[in-house]
Amino acid sequence: MQSNRLGWILLAPTLVILFFFGVLPFIYVVYVSFHQWNPFAADPTMIFNGADNFRKIVFDAEFLNSVSVTVIFVLFAVISELVVGYVLAQAFMKEFPGKAIFRTIHTLPLIMAPIIVGSVWKLMMTPSIGIIPHYLNAWFGISINIGTSPVAAFATIIIMDIWHWTPLVTLTLIAALVSLPPDPFEQAQIDGANKRQIFFHITVPMIAPAVVATVFIRLMDALRTVDEVWMLTGGGPGSATRFVGVHIFKEVFPKTNYGYGSTISVIVLYLTIVACWLLYVTMLAPRNKKD
Amino acid sequence: MAQVKIDNVIKRYGSVQVMHGVNVDIDDGEFVVLVGPSGCGKSTLLRMLAGLEEISDGAISIGDRVVNDVPPKERDIAMVFQSYALYPHKTVYDNIGFPLKMAGRDKSEIDQKVRGAADILDLTKYLKRYPKELSGGQRQRVAMGRAIVRDPQVFLFDEPLSNLDAKLRVTMRVEIKELHQRLGTTIVYVTHDQIEAMTMADKIVVMRDGRVEQIGAPLDLYDNPANVFVAGFIGSPSMNFIHGQIVTDGGVRQFRSDSGLLLPLPQTALPDGHKVTYGIRPEHIAIGNHGVPLRVVVVEPTGSETQVFAKHGGDFVDALVKDRFKAAPNSEVRFVIDPANVHLFDRTTEQRL
Ligand SMILES: Nc1ncnc2c1ncn2[C@@H]1O[C@H](COP(=O)(O)OP(=O)(O)O)[C@@H](O)[C@H]1O
Ligand SMILES: [Mg+2]
Repeated sequence: MQSNRLGWILLAPTLVILFFFGVLPFIYVVYVSFHQWNPFAADPTMIFNGADNFRKIVFDAEFLNSVSVTVIFVLFAVISELVVGYVLAQAFMKEFPGKAIFRTIHTLPLIMAPIIVGSVWKLMMTPSIGIIPHYLNAWFGISINIGTSPVAAFATIIIMDIWHWTPLVTLTLIAALVSLPPDPFEQAQIDGANKRQIFFHITVPMIAPAVVATVFIRLMDALRTVDEVWMLTGGGPGSATRFVGVHIFKEVFPKTNYGYGSTISVIVLYLTIVACWLLYVTMLAPRNKKD
Repeated sequence: MAQVKIDNVIKRYGSVQVMHGVNVDIDDGEFVVLVGPSGCGKSTLLRMLAGLEEISDGAISIGDRVVNDVPPKERDIAMVFQSYALYPHKTVYDNIGFPLKMAGRDKSEIDQKVRGAADILDLTKYLKRYPKELSGGQRQRVAMGRAIVRDPQVFLFDEPLSNLDAKLRVTMRVEIKELHQRLGTTIVYVTHDQIEAMTMADKIVVMRDGRVEQIGAPLDLYDNPANVFVAGFIGSPSMNFIHGQIVTDGGVRQFRSDSGLLLPLPQTALPDGHKVTYGIRPEHIAIGNHGVPLRVVVVEPTGSETQVFAKHGGDFVDALVKDRFKAAPNSEVRFVIDPANVHLFDRTTEQRL
């Protein structure tokens, strides 16, 4: 009992902070989502309007479009990051000249704020001044303009996200690979498994928990991507890159529509939880159930 | 089934050489035990047999084929690791069936073989469990099952019993030996435990520091150890070694230790003054009225036997006798030694004379 009480006392500061900065704001957002509230309008009062905001969402074509754009973005980005991250992690497991320097450089994007990543990529991508359109044109005769081409804008954002976040995946996968016991892999060779079979029968199941955790983190992050996209394309051209995060941002900032913005946030949170749950159920739950 | 030939095998890790020309011939169906203290290179040799470690020089052949460059999966060997190396995410059934699945056998054949192995090893109840839900002994048997479903040319075991408690170790020792009698497959078995080696092997290979010290049948090694190392390693409790020289005292040729203890000698052509190490096994010493006088240090009764530790000056000698025996510390005890059981070793080369 003594140690139990001590445990709570030691946890208390964290719990208090978490309560004020995590739980309370969340409850407040849920509360606001049931109201019509525009604090910067002529009438700044908060008016309870039941489920009106939620009803509105279902018919909000821009919101629905932003969800599908986001899902496509997340699928492309997270899957590419996993594949590239795994290949890099395997490469870093081996020795090669310049490995330490390469590994350091490779993690640099991680320490950059998204807003800066967005501005740098904007600088690199803007036609007539950007280095990338220039060389694409000079070397391959391809002319791209993220200001007018939805595909180019969308692809650039995915590549920017891969560039920014793959190091995170690499780092977690390296940690997972390093901690794998060597014996089952040697045993599998003796049991007659080839490289491909070892990968699917031994490696993948053994690093699955780390992979799922990484995907959770990337999924949650990617679903609320705002700053980089805002910087780079502002959600355009048209609504080609108007992800939910950008949509909420536009709803809340130019329009100062706090009530409806909160409603979208709540729904997006819900969708995120559902996505993570689906992932967990398909990847890990069958195994854990038998534990 | 196959014979195995290890021919002048050398192993280097970078510039460090850990195996210095090892030669072992293993007959078809033989149970060979590699034994030696920790770090002597037993696992390395076994892993070279398995193909998990490259051979720096020399040749290893399984059957009639030199396998130096053959990857593990094509060597047709099964191996049981000290850690058992079970696949943590697979059930017992899938663990045992894994090699068959990799070999592309059909489901019904796999099922039949897995159940057959589970039956032999008493694992039928646990087929649906995961490794972490098993005890050490059960895990060990799963690893065995995964090896025997293969029906390989050679079984390799790396200290498979060293993580088990003493009682289970004895049971599994018997089971492995029985398995060998039933299957008749060549087995190479690594252990640091000389009792395991003595009880299981057809042939023992004693290793030290990456070299083979002696190869022979268990009793052969016990009766005729080639040098001090083998003599001390084989047999429990260990042989007594006393340093001294050969003298003629009162017209009788005897051994005199550095502390002046006089012990009986077998027939020998060695000249007086030759420096030797005198070896006598504790179980070859009896307690009587006319033996060599020593002082009791400790008496350890185990019920069936009594071990008596005694000394003379700086020389310690222990005896293992069947009879119950009691003596106060520092009292006199007389050890009777039959010269026929004495081993003499050269003091500098440590080789048997
Ligand atoms: N990967 C390695 N790199 C360098 N030295 C090694 C390596 N593996 C084993 N050794 C050395 O080889 C020797 C034999 O090791 P090992 O075969 O594991 O001994 P044993 O199994 O008899 O206890 C030891 O001295 C050990 O330090
Ligand atoms: Mg070993």
